[in-house]
Amino acid sequence: MIAREETLRDLMRLAQAGDKQAYAVLLEQTSRWLARFFAQKISADAVDDLVQDTLISLHKKRASYDPARPFLPWLAAIARYRWVDRLRQTYRHAAEELHDQHKEDSHEDVVGARISIDRLLNQLPDGQAAAIRLVKIDGLSIAEACVKCGQSEPLVKVNIHRGLKKLAILIESD
Amino acid sequence: MNAKFDLSALVDDLEPVTPVRQALPLALSAVITVAAVALIAWFQGVRADVLAGHPDEMFLIRSGVLLLLGGGTAHAVTSMASPSVGRSQDGWQMALAAAVLFPLSALIVASTGDIGPALSAMDSGLRCLGYSLIGGVATAVPMILMLRRGAPTSPERAGWLTGIAAGGLGAFAYNLHCPFNHVVYTGLWYSLAVGVCALAGRLVVPRLIRW
Repeated sequence: MIAREETLRDLMRLAQAGDKQAYAVLLEQTSRWLARFFAQKISADAVDDLVQDTLISLHKKRASYDPARPFLPWLAAIARYRWVDRLRQTYRHAAEELHDQHKEDSHEDVVGARISIDRLLNQLPDGQAAAIRLVKIDGLSIAEACVKCGQSEPLVKVNIHRGLKKLAILIESD
Repeated sequence: MNAKFDLSALVDDLEPVTPVRQALPLALSAVITVAAVALIAWFQGVRADVLAGHPDEMFLIRSGVLLLLGGGTAHAVTSMASPSVGRSQDGWQMALAAAVLFPLSALIVASTGDIGPALSAMDSGLRCLGYSLIGGVATAVPMILMLRRGAPTSPERAGWLTGIAAGGLGAFAYNLHCPFNHVVYTGLWYSLAVGVCALAGRLVVPRLIRW
């Protein structure tokens, strides 16, 4: 079970004051929340690395959390930034082959629904969202994605490129 | 991921931090703007109508719009240091929309053939550009430092907005000396000042704040 927003906020306040015990609990709870958050957004074998990246960002940027505001929207903003960054890196270097181990069941509370990355994808044109979902989330190759969505190979690549660029813009304007 | 190892390493590394606060960089930018006004008044002098206590309407409107643009955008920039999904930071757009009325009006008036001193007073226009840039760079420093400490999730937009805020505040400072009231002059040179600062912000700031 994952702690509630109020508990996480209190833990983060204590962590900002240097309370290591509270910080350990916060990181543990946050890593679980992030694992579920990312489960539907990226292939399963990439989730752990992304959770780790996000926790490191949380650690480095913990001063950027305003204790007067809710914690989870702040965490979600950091998580989405890291997620888009990861997608960009993966696409740019074409180094990883993602596998389709999409998890069907995932915790999605009120905050989660508000900040869902799926909602971001829904704001993209259909072609761009489909290309990103198939290649970056479901882990299909470009060729497989072409067959599945009926787009040509260059179009899939262009749609991924433009879609990722637009996602980055949407992160802040959402 | 070796979660236990990583988590304990982060816990071991924990030091107390002071949460970022918007008020400090905003206050610093305001103080720098006042200092820029004082320096320009000292070295260049203040407009005669302001000294006489009867400021021209164009000066008042221009001052208000530049202050709103600079202040509103600076507020948005400093908000970006502490990101949050679902929090709107669009107030600056209204100020920018109001500011855009100047170049639009200038275009309409210039199309009638009346360009006033816009080109004949190019020396003053270039000075406006130069002082706005210098003042803008100074006012941008607290904003950039706050962004570096924070976690801006859209570095490019933060760059644009930092430039617009800096340009607005820098142009406001010079505006207290600038003797011209013609709308084409204002639309051309003040828009150029803010535009150049915005472009500089977009080109320079993202490299300084990316994390």
